[in-house]
Amino acid sequence: MTEAHPKFAVVGHPNKGKSSIVSALAMDDSVQISDTPGTTIKKRSFPLKVDGEILYELFDTPGFQRARRVLAWLEQHDVSADKKHEVVQLFINEHKDDPKFNDELELLEPIMNGAGIIYVVDGSKPYGEEYEAEMEILRWTGQPSMALINHIDESDYSEEWKRALGHYFKMVRTFDPMNTSIEQHLSILESMAQLKEEWTASVKASIQLFETYHEQMLERSSAVIAKVIYKSVSLVEKLNFHGEDATEDEKNRVEEKYKERLRELERSTQKSIEAIWNHDHLQKEQQSLPLDGMDLFSEETASVFGFSRKELLITAAASGAATGAGVDLLFAGGTFLLGAGIGAVIGGAGAFFAFNELSEIKVLGQTLGKRYLEMGPMENRNFPYILLGRAIYHTTQVANRSHAVRSVAELAMDSTFKDKWLDDDLRKSLEKYHKKFRLGKEIEPEELAGYEALIREVLKYLINV
Amino acid sequence: MNLKSYLDLFELLETDTSSREERRAFGLVNVVTKSRPVEQLSAWARENKTKLKKPALSETFSSTLYTATLILVIIVFVLGFLSGVGLLSYNGHEPVNVIYFIAMVVFLPLFTITLTLFSMFRANSTQSMLVHISPAFWMEKILRLLPNKIEDNLKEVKINPLLANWIVIKRSQIIALAFSFGLLFALLSVVATKDIAFAWSTTLSIGPESFHHFLHTLAFPWRDLYPSALPSVELIEQSQYFRLGDKLSDEMIQNASKLGEWWKFLAFATLFYAIILRFTIYLVSEFGLKKAIQRSFLMLDGAKRLLNDMNEPIISTHANENEQQFIQRSIAYDQMLNTLDASYDSVQGWAVPEENLSVIADSMKVISPKFFEVGGGNTLDEDMEIIHHSGGEVLLYVKSWEPPTMDFIDYLEALAKRVDKVVVCPIGTLEDKYETEAKEVNVWARKLSMLGSEKVWLRS
Repeated sequence: MTEAHPKFAVVGHPNKGKSSIVSALAMDDSVQISDTPGTTIKKRSFPLKVDGEILYELFDTPGFQRARRVLAWLEQHDVSADKKHEVVQLFINEHKDDPKFNDELELLEPIMNGAGIIYVVDGSKPYGEEYEAEMEILRWTGQPSMALINHIDESDYSEEWKRALGHYFKMVRTFDPMNTSIEQHLSILESMAQLKEEWTASVKASIQLFETYHEQMLERSSAVIAKVIYKSVSLVEKLNFHGEDATEDEKNRVEEKYKERLRELERSTQKSIEAIWNHDHLQKEQQSLPLDGMDLFSEETASVFGFSRKELLITAAASGAATGAGVDLLFAGGTFLLGAGIGAVIGGAGAFFAFNELSEIKVLGQTLGKRYLEMGPMENRNFPYILLGRAIYHTTQVANRSHAVRSVAELAMDSTFKDKWLDDDLRKSLEKYHKKFRLGKEIEPEELAGYEALIREVLKYLINV
Repeated sequence: MNLKSYLDLFELLETDTSSREERRAFGLVNVVTKSRPVEQLSAWARENKTKLKKPALSETFSSTLYTATLILVIIVFVLGFLSGVGLLSYNGHEPVNVIYFIAMVVFLPLFTITLTLFSMFRANSTQSMLVHISPAFWMEKILRLLPNKIEDNLKEVKINPLLANWIVIKRSQIIALAFSFGLLFALLSVVATKDIAFAWSTTLSIGPESFHHFLHTLAFPWRDLYPSALPSVELIEQSQYFRLGDKLSDEMIQNASKLGEWWKFLAFATLFYAIILRFTIYLVSEFGLKKAIQRSFLMLDGAKRLLNDMNEPIISTHANENEQQFIQRSIAYDQMLNTLDASYDSVQGWAVPEENLSVIADSMKVISPKFFEVGGGNTLDEDMEIIHHSGGEVLLYVKSWEPPTMDFIDYLEALAKRVDKVVVCPIGTLEDKYETEAKEVNVWARKLSMLGSEKVWLRS
């Protein structure tokens, strides 16, 4: 029995990237993909579901193994075109217990259950006559079909493929699952929608849904990033100690705990971002948040990850001046812009001196008898920009990565990345929030939402630009 | 919606293990509350309350707070009572100066109410300094004296500072009310049990008329309802007391019975300024606390995520079932050849056109009398015919980039039965000058190893 929602079976010769295409279209990085043929043994369903309701279903299938033999069997039956699909069904029925045709049965079953055909070929290798048996079998099924030309390697034989495929399929599209974007993804869905009139509405709804899904992922990512910046900057680590004064060892311990907590916050945020973008299986190589020896806060490294001392000075001075200007405004200019001037000097000086430090270790609770060391909130003015830059870079890399890619992601941010998203206006807006975060106080949800909105705009701009 | 429901939600968010699907299901069932996030969170907390371990954190916290407040209320009531008794203590020689009592029941409440109003204004934005001087703030210190187990439980509670401000403000009003009730109780008890001569005395040069005018202003809430609770000018004149002279004036002694009339004014002043006004502020703080709880609901860690999970549709694209793990066997194929012979009995090409075969063979310096295309566009019968005419040693070219299918294996098996030796030779594309990649040859080696035929060799 066929179900109402559209179904599409991705079929083809072994090892032509069927699973890669399914992985990219279904945004599922758990699909086994390898250059070894026969990795897909059983057909696998990838439904697009909204609150449990299926909008369409993709099937990943094993490749044809004995196409000529199947075709020979079919051609033994001399029937008119309107009966050919019945012969295919007869083949399935008669061979369901024959292990020889296991792969053919796996791929033909969803088609005979109403799935449209997406026939995948590798356009980087020459066309061969041996594909014709496969395409002929698919024609016998009578199901709507399209061909996708995948490019596994650099060479390009697309033209000869297009000429050949044009004889069998009403639509031939090129799709690179390794370098896909949301636009390309939606464009393939548009093509799938045209395969059968009855499917158009459902697939078009899926397209809209994918756009919503993309927005959802951007929103969730910006919320997670905003939260980690706030949590990290306002983080306070405490360590109780006994005796008159804390020992060096105790001071080191609180500092280590503080740094480890910051790293852990970043790690868990990255995991959340990867889960949001369905990259739960992502393997990556990257420099961990480098807090040791303050090397990150040197001029050289700051230019890659955060601000140089000069940039930071300008940002902090501008932010201080803005605060001072508020005072000037209160006095209707009677202060001759002294407020703005003083604000700028204070802000600038703060940034200058807080360039190389994380946070001071304070000894507290002396009067109450229970003594403890406290480190945080973060005093280093550069730190929020470093963490934000890293988070935005990681998110864009994850979001722009195709789900078909299985190689280890090398996350190495260079100095040009910052210039792609950070301008003077954004710096000033961000600094306003970072200043509040540094106070270590509870932030109103509305305020955090404002910070999230800034991050969301950056992500929107960077993802798939 | 109260502090308990806030703490329940806090604890649930900390411990909740519900899946996104469960949360979304709740959101769909309660879709009417979608636009009212606080209500939606509250409903979710109610629904899941049974999941909380017993006793719930909210119960421990509330009962601890209740105990601490009760202790403080009792202490403060006693303090208020003793203060009242002290202020009204009459030794029979000197009259009781009502100004002290007025200061305590009118000016002190007005001053502290003003401070409270300031803290209320500041409570929403920051940790107010004024809150820290409140007696209720010190309740936290009392909590530390409680048994360790309870203290440990309470350590888990992280109350939003804005909410904490309102809790302190509200509790302070309760404590102040207790103090005021202590004063009123003291006044009524002393009046009932003693004959007190009230008087007023001040160093400032204030005449009875001015003082009456001042009292008339203070008594504005009740002067029309209970005129007897406002001292008359005569009474004020009669009860003015000067310390010099060391004894009561004759006028005072003559009007001793009237001097006691002051108590009504004092009682009403206490009732209005120290109790009714304070109670009004208590109601305001109750309202502020409610609002703070509502705001704090949304500020709880995980609340936004929960709301998103409840209200955003779950879009899933992944497979329902896990994939059967493909295990790649690493088998070393030992029938490998590095070079080809100079000649073969026949050269065949799997899906390689016949016209290309001689060119390929030439390029590899191989000669043969017969060239056949097999597989590809051939029918199975055509392939069987070729096998039938094959013999001796066969060189079988295959496209290295095309993985070997079972169709090929079937052909090879049949061919191997017929001939003495088959050398499978993968070739690359013409553009690559028929060069192959090692990984492609490995794919062929793995497949041929499945065959296990001694007659089949692979050119590496």
